[in-house]
This record gives sequence, C-alpha cells and structure tokens, in this order.
Amino acid sequence: MSSQTKTRNPLIALPENIWRSIFRNPLPSSDLGRASTSFTNFFLHLHPVKVHRNSLRATFTLGLGLMAFFLFMILVVTGILLMFYYVPSTTQAYDRMLDLRGTVAFGIFLRNMHRWSAHGMVAVVFLHMCRVFLTGSYKPPREFNWVLGVLLLLVTLFLSFTGYLLPWDQLAFWAITVGTSIASYAPIVGKEVKFLLLGDSTVGQEALLRFYVLHVAVLPAVLSLLVAIHFWRIRKDGGLSRPEEEDALPADVPAPTQVEVVQGPAVVMATSPAAAAAAQPVLEKRHYGIQGLVRGPFTKIGNVPDRSVFAWPNLFMAELVVFLITVAGVLLVSLFFNAPLEEPVNVMHPPNPAKAPWYFLGLQEQVSYSAFWGGVGIPTIEVLLLFLVPYLDRKIAGVGRWFARERLLANFLFLTFVIVNVVLIIIGTFFRGPNWEFVSPW
Amino acid sequence: MSTRVTLAVASFVVLIVHGIVFYDQFFNRWEKHQTAYFEQARSLAKTDAERRALDQRSPRIEQIIVTQFGESRVDRCTTCHVASDDPRFQNHAQPLRTHPYSAALGDVQVNGRWERRHKFTDFGCTICHDGQGRGLESFYAHGEDIFWPDPMLGYVTQASWHTEFRPKLTGKEYMQANCAQCHTEDNFAGTPLVQRGRQLFFEKACYGCHRIEGLSNGTLGPDLSDVGKKYKINYLWEHTVNPRAFQPTSFMPKFDLSDEEIKALTVFLKSRRGINFAETALGQYRARLQQVKAEGAKQETSAMPSAMRGEQLIGERSCTACHRLGEKDGHIAPDLSYEGLIRDEDWMMAHFREPKSKIPDSIMPVFGFADADFRSISAYLKTRSTPPPFKTAEEIYKGLCARCHGEKGDGKGVTYLYLDPAPRDLTKASFMNSKPEERFLQSLKNGVPGTSMPPWERVLTDEQRRTVLTYVFETFVKEPRGQLKERKVPDKNPVAFNVDSIHRGEEIFLNRCTGCHGRKADGKGPNSLDISPRPRNLRNSFFINNVPDKRLFDSILYGVQGTAMPSWIDYGLTQNDAGDLINFIRSLNSQTALPGGEKSPTLTSQANLSQTNQEVPCLNKGNDKCK
Repeated sequence: MSSQTKTRNPLIALPENIWRSIFRNPLPSSDLGRASTSFTNFFLHLHPVKVHRNSLRATFTLGLGLMAFFLFMILVVTGILLMFYYVPSTTQAYDRMLDLRGTVAFGIFLRNMHRWSAHGMVAVVFLHMCRVFLTGSYKPPREFNWVLGVLLLLVTLFLSFTGYLLPWDQLAFWAITVGTSIASYAPIVGKEVKFLLLGDSTVGQEALLRFYVLHVAVLPAVLSLLVAIHFWRIRKDGGLSRPEEEDALPADVPAPTQVEVVQGPAVVMATSPAAAAAAQPVLEKRHYGIQGLVRGPFTKIGNVPDRSVFAWPNLFMAELVVFLITVAGVLLVSLFFNAPLEEPVNVMHPPNPAKAPWYFLGLQEQVSYSAFWGGVGIPTIEVLLLFLVPYLDRKIAGVGRWFARERLLANFLFLTFVIVNVVLIIIGTFFRGPNWEFVSPW
Repeated sequence: MSTRVTLAVASFVVLIVHGIVFYDQFFNRWEKHQTAYFEQARSLAKTDAERRALDQRSPRIEQIIVTQFGESRVDRCTTCHVASDDPRFQNHAQPLRTHPYSAALGDVQVNGRWERRHKFTDFGCTICHDGQGRGLESFYAHGEDIFWPDPMLGYVTQASWHTEFRPKLTGKEYMQANCAQCHTEDNFAGTPLVQRGRQLFFEKACYGCHRIEGLSNGTLGPDLSDVGKKYKINYLWEHTVNPRAFQPTSFMPKFDLSDEEIKALTVFLKSRRGINFAETALGQYRARLQQVKAEGAKQETSAMPSAMRGEQLIGERSCTACHRLGEKDGHIAPDLSYEGLIRDEDWMMAHFREPKSKIPDSIMPVFGFADADFRSISAYLKTRSTPPPFKTAEEIYKGLCARCHGEKGDGKGVTYLYLDPAPRDLTKASFMNSKPEERFLQSLKNGVPGTSMPPWERVLTDEQRRTVLTYVFETFVKEPRGQLKERKVPDKNPVAFNVDSIHRGEEIFLNRCTGCHGRKADGKGPNSLDISPRPRNLRNSFFINNVPDKRLFDSILYGVQGTAMPSWIDYGLTQNDAGDLINFIRSLNSQTALPGGEKSPTLTSQANLSQTNQEVPCLNKGNDKCK
C-alpha cells in the first residue's frame, strides 16, 4: 500500500490526502475501526466507544437531553447572527426588531427560530427532568449530575427570561416588570436583587443593558460550562442509567466483542459481587493500567458480559435522528408562526393583565393568591426539594425503568408537583383576563 | 428501518422549509413592483439616455432617512411606491401612482412642472402619513398590524378597532393632526379640524380637568400633552364618545357631542404629541417659563351679565356633563335645579372662582371663565327658585335625596363616589339612633357646611323636612329609636385655648389619631381607605367651625356609633385631654391670632408635616396655613 501511495501523483492524491489528514480513519469496517473512529475524532471522542443498548432505546430517553442540547446549539447559532443586528438601547432596540422583520435577509426567520427554540428549550429541559425522575435515574452514582441538571434548568429559565426583554416591546417590558417584581417579594434581599437585576427601580436602559450582557455572554458561558460537566459526568457515572438486570444477565448475552486495544490488565471497580470475583485475579497482579487510577463504575472492559454496542454507527445515527427531528421541528414552527412583536414600550400604559413569560405564569398565578408564598416561599421550597431529591430518596430500586413499581410514592409526589405546576401555568396563560380575573378562553 | 424513515422525513422537511424560506427571501413583492415600474418607465421614456439609465437600475430597497424633524426616521415606503415622485404615473394604480400635487400643500407649478413644497427627500413619508416606515410588507408598512401604534392616518384602520367606529376614522382630514406638528399657528388654513378641536376643548370645558402643556392646567383628569403619541385615533374617538369604554373606572362625564365635533376633538387630541417638530427644546423651555393662562379666560363676553346668557352658557360649557339641571343629568355633581333657593349669589361667585373655598374637598375644577360669564350663570341659577312639586315624603326623598344618598338610603347614590365627605349611609341604625333628632333636622334645614349637603330651608317647608326625616327612619333605619343616653359632656370647652393646651393636644393627636385622620389631620391617614364612612377631614374649617364643642366632646369621648371612631374614654382619655385635642383641632381652623401672641399655632410638627406629606396637596385653601 505504501509503495502505491508513493507512485501516485501528489496532485491527483491531493483530495484524498487532505481528507486523510482531517479524518484519520477510513469508514470503519471492523470493530477496531469503529472504536478508533470514535476516539480519533474530536467531536466523536466525547462519546464512549461503546454504549449500552438501553441508552439507545428511543422509548427510554425520548432523546430529550440531546434535544435540549441541539436546541441550545440552534440558539447559539441564530443568537450570534441576531447579535449582528441588535443594539441594546431603548431608543434603537425596537427599530432593530422592525428591521429584522422587514428588511434584513432571513431576519424574521432567524428571530422566529431563536424565539421558538428558546421556548422549546425551556419545555424540553423540563421534560428531560421529568424523564430522569420517572426512570429513577438520579440515584447513586448519578446524584450530582441531577443537581447539575436542576441548575441547568434554572439557568435555562433565566436565559430565556433575560432574552424576553430584548425586543423592547410592550410584551417584553411588562413581562419583565412583572417577573422582577415577583423576585422583589423575597424577604430581606428581594429589593436588592431586583435593583441588582434592573440597575434602577424600574425597567429601563440599565436593565436592558444588563439583561443583554447576561443573555449573550454570562449565561451562555455558564450554561456551556455546566453542560460540559453534565456530559462529562454522564460518562464518569457509567453512562445512562439502566435496569440492573441489564447488567447481570450473562445467559442471553452474546460473548463480549473482542477489543484489540489492551495495554496491560485493566482494573475494575465492580459494582456487582460477580464482577468483583471475576476481577479478583487481575487485582492480584498489583500493577495498574491507566484505568486503575480512576475509581467508579466505568465501562467494563472485556471481563463482564454486557449488552453494549459500538457508538459508531449506532449512537451517532441516533443522535443524527434527534438532531434532524429537532431542526425540522424548529424550522416548521418558525415557518408558520411569527415571533410576537407588540407595541413599542409605553411606560404609562400597562396592558391589562400584564403577564410574565409563560413559564413564569404558574408563579404569577401563585402570586395572585399570596405574594410572598406564591412568588418566593413555595418556589424556593420546590427548587430546594428538587436539589435534594437524590439525597432524600436513597433507596436503590427501580432504576432505569419508567414508572417502576418500587418508586410509586416518589413518582406520585413528583407527578403531583409537575401536574400542579402545569395546571397553574395553563390557568395563568389561558384563564386569566383583565385584573387577573377568571375568564374562559372560549 | 424506522430510523431511516425518520431520517428521510426529517431531512425532507428541513430541505422543503429551506426552499420556502429562500424563495421568500429572494422573490419579494417589492421587487415585482419595481420591475413593473422599470418596464413602464421604459415604454414612457422619450430619450435613449433615459432608457439606458433605467436599464442600469435593478430592484433594491429604497429608503429616505429623515433626521431634521424629531427622532430620526427611516422611510422605506418608496421601495414599493417607487413612482411617487414621477409625474408620468398620475393615473396608474397603487403602488405605482404619483403622489398628487396640490396647491394646498404648497406645491407650485414652474414652467408647467410641479414642484413640491414638502420634498420627499427632506420629509420622508411617515411624517405626514404615519404608518411604519421601516416595513417592506404592506401589512406592516401601512400599520395594519394591530400592535403598531400609528397606522396610516385616515387611510388604515386596524382589525381590533370597534367596527361601529371604523368607517368614521377614515378620511384625509385626519392627517391635519400631523400637519399641526409643524404648522402650530392658531389660524393655519390647512388645519381647520385642529382649530375646531382646540376651540371645543375650551368650549366643552375639557380644560377644566385636563392639562395640556401650554394650553391648560387641569389636574383632575390625565395630562393630555402627549395623548396623540400614546393613543390611536380609535381610542381617542371612543374615549370621547364613551369614557368608560376603555377605562371602566373613568369618571369623565359623557358629553353631548355630534360626530363632527368628536372628529375635530379626535384630530386635535391626535395632534398633541408632546414636543412637536417645529419646537426646539429651548423653545419649549422658554414657553414653560411663561405663565400658562387658561385660554378659557380669554373668551371674554362683551354682553352684559344676564340670566338668558347664563342659561346659554350652561348649555355651551357642558355644566350638565357633571351636574343635574332639570332633565339633564351628568350623574357626577350636585343637582342645580333648585340652586336659587339653596345658595345666594356671593356663595356661587366665590364657589365659581375657587370651588374649594366653599367645599374644601370638592373635585370641581377651577374654570377660568370671564367674570361676566360667571355672573350670568349665577343670575340664571338665581332664577331656579321654584320649589319642587313633590308632595309625599317618598317623592321628596326620591326627587331630592336619592341622587346622593341612594334609592336604598345606603349612601350610594349615583354621585356618591365624587362627593367628599361621602353621603351619609341612612341605613346604619347604630349611627342614626345615637344622634338626637334635632341634629338631623338641623342638617336638613341648614345643610352641613363644608360638604355637599345643601340647606333645604327654602326648598322644603318645616313640615316637609320633618316628614322626610320620619320617612327615612321608617324606611331605612327601621330599628326603633330608644331613649338617648344622657352623657356628661361640657357645653363649652373648659380648657383654656392657649399655646400649651394646643401643644398637649397636638401630642395626643399625633399619638392617637393620625392612623385614621392622618398626620395632616385631613382625614387621609393610612387606615382611612379601609374605613367607611371615611374619617372626618379636621381641616375642613366650614365644618369644624360650625360644630359646637359639645358635639366634639361627645364624639371624642364616647365615639361615633356606626363609624370607626371609638369611644376614647375607654382608652384612657380624660375630659381635659379631649379639651386639649379640641383646642388643637380648633387651632388648625382658626383664622385669628392666638392668645399668647403666637400667630401660627405652634406645631413643631407643622414643619415636619409639610416635609413628610408634601405630595398631599393642600386641600383647604380657606385655611390660612395653606397659603
């Protein structure tokens, strides 16, 4: 083969050489090839070489985490393009919106995509959390990743909220006015938090600038960092959760695929006694491969019957499907529905009712019953409980299955929380008219 | 397999949507208009050079950036209306029609060619027409989008507007509101509707309640200086026709206006957009430095004061928009039908010049009519001196009392929201039965000074007043009257009226009374909003100076039954304390110098009061401390 390459004209071989220099592997035809394709590519090597079959089951994950990530990618791309046109100034912002809608090439479509992806991301992140809870996937060793996930939900909400102000129309202005006054109901620090957010006692130029900086720089950076850790933790916590039976059924599992990359014996911290026994002789040798330095339930190499498959092409194909579905969905919605742009801000003329963004309408509905408890007390307790879920619920049973019988109580409590909040949002969105009085949407 | 189908479908959708979006982006409607224009212009072209120049042009977004008039504007209207300045297209269909030339707009003909006075390159389009200059789609550009605040004036109505009024809101004449942005002269020929509207603003007494920078100083209603910027013409029209259409809580009266008058007012209001283009900020500042005089005062009438002229004036100046006079009733202010029997001319004149000088909490605005006009109105009102024809007590109550005290006697008649103090709730037996009958008869006879309860002495006979009182007790109070308890209260304040006593009284007042009566003793304390009837304004001199010490002692020491005023004797107040309090309250309302040489009664707090409560306007102009 090498002699062949030498004889070829370098000009003729140029495309192939360039291709080879970028992609080190040809399309893989063997398991070794599949493995090295995964870890010689920067983007692919973020994935494990092999992935458990359970992680690929569409009905298990529903692809929600990936969907949230892809929506974030869409948001970054469209957001950067929008930044070329946007000016965070109270006198110019609205005019820029008009330009985007009327004159800028693809302006309205970019705005639609950005708007609907943002709403979609809030919804999908929330659904992702529901999936993780209802499959019991926050149990050890994945407790901290759950905490990161809750943090990510909060950052997502805040990102969407800060973006809401930027068009500087009536919808934006009054939603943020309502939203920040909900924050001011917090005891002691409430007023200060509001002032810190707005840079003023009312929503104005300072608030617009602050929200802009938070929206385009601070929060995306925070979110990216948290997402990176979230992904990294998935691998370090042993991949996605799966039922225990899936790991310990040697009978109907085919023999492990031979991995040819063996550099000294690998040491494994086994979770099951059987695996520990199997690993014992290896341990006796007392010298460690690179895997021996890290602790935790990692991908087992060679010595445990597993049901994993190569990431190439199985995982990557699944990811592509989720990606395309997400993009297609966003494109379709953006084609048919225009992002709202209401009147320019009129400080003297609040709409009645002035409503917060839809994902805070549950809060606003609660606030209409009690300012402190609805706006601060209950939400704080809810968020704290969400953070503490994996530390309160220590029973390791029913992991990796939807609605496991063992988790009846936990799932019941969680679904109650979800349904109550969704119902409150629906009431706040559709059933509240002027002066926050009950109206029928029909 | 299913993966592949999903992949295929999703890819297909992505592809299709991209196709549609790209098609939309590159095949704009305005390009078609421009292409059509180039073609037709070519066929109309007379020289080859002209044709060549047209060949050079390709469709592009045209825009005019106007920076000279107010905030800078970007008008892209000429992207579609590309022929607007091309005189050959006068008979074409829109959007390729020439903007008409008109001498009324100041256009002139030079050598058979029109020249525009308002060149599009200088003025743009939206400065006269409104609409959204930045838009390139007619839906947005013309302002049909319901969220756009300035649809093309007189041409475009929005879908959310009341269908009943929509046809009335079209017509070129609405654009006068925009002409008036620069042509501010009072007698500018191009803006007759603005001038008619301005005239109506004064004729219909709008200026009494509303402020407009440089024109009027009313404070009762909202400031209208930039109302044209805040609201669309449909709002202005409908709000004038029916003030409660948009604001259910508005107490602006319904005026009797013809469509023509409403249109003039709408155009006038639409022209009020704060700073107009003709003004510089410096000019505005200079204008503000000059004393604003209500323009109503300018309308001096040369005619001698006469009752006939007065009747005419009452009709013209819309008095009955609030007041009742015979058949006409504005449901806001008192009935004037028997005014000649109730008030004398001095009272009326003083009340006209400053309503608060007679009823300290009155909401009636100060109207700057000419003195002769006031005299005419007074003269007319003097003629309203026929006693009412009512016979039975029920008829009298329904005819005279119910308008304020309510059909059910609950103090919630049609006008009750606008009267301060509010009419007495006659159904509250605990109050009604705790006061001697003589007091009610007294109130009926002489009225309650400083309030809207008028003296009925000359309207009703002694006998009639007595039967009305009996009627009230039988119909509304219902509970039988027991024997009134004899209470030990002095007839006259035994505590000497001097500085020390006032100081002590003030201290007690600040400790005990301010929660309801307020730190200014004006009855507007923090608790006052939750209390019905509202706490008494203790600075209402007409009222306080007319109440004997005995009643004050009785109210303070033993409370006022049926109200929130507690019996202070139960809270440790002695008769002497009450005496100090009374001296303090009297001192707030006294016009005379104090014994002890001090003019202003003390009030260490007085300084504090004016500092802490600065936003509360001084309601009691009759009081010397207010000056």
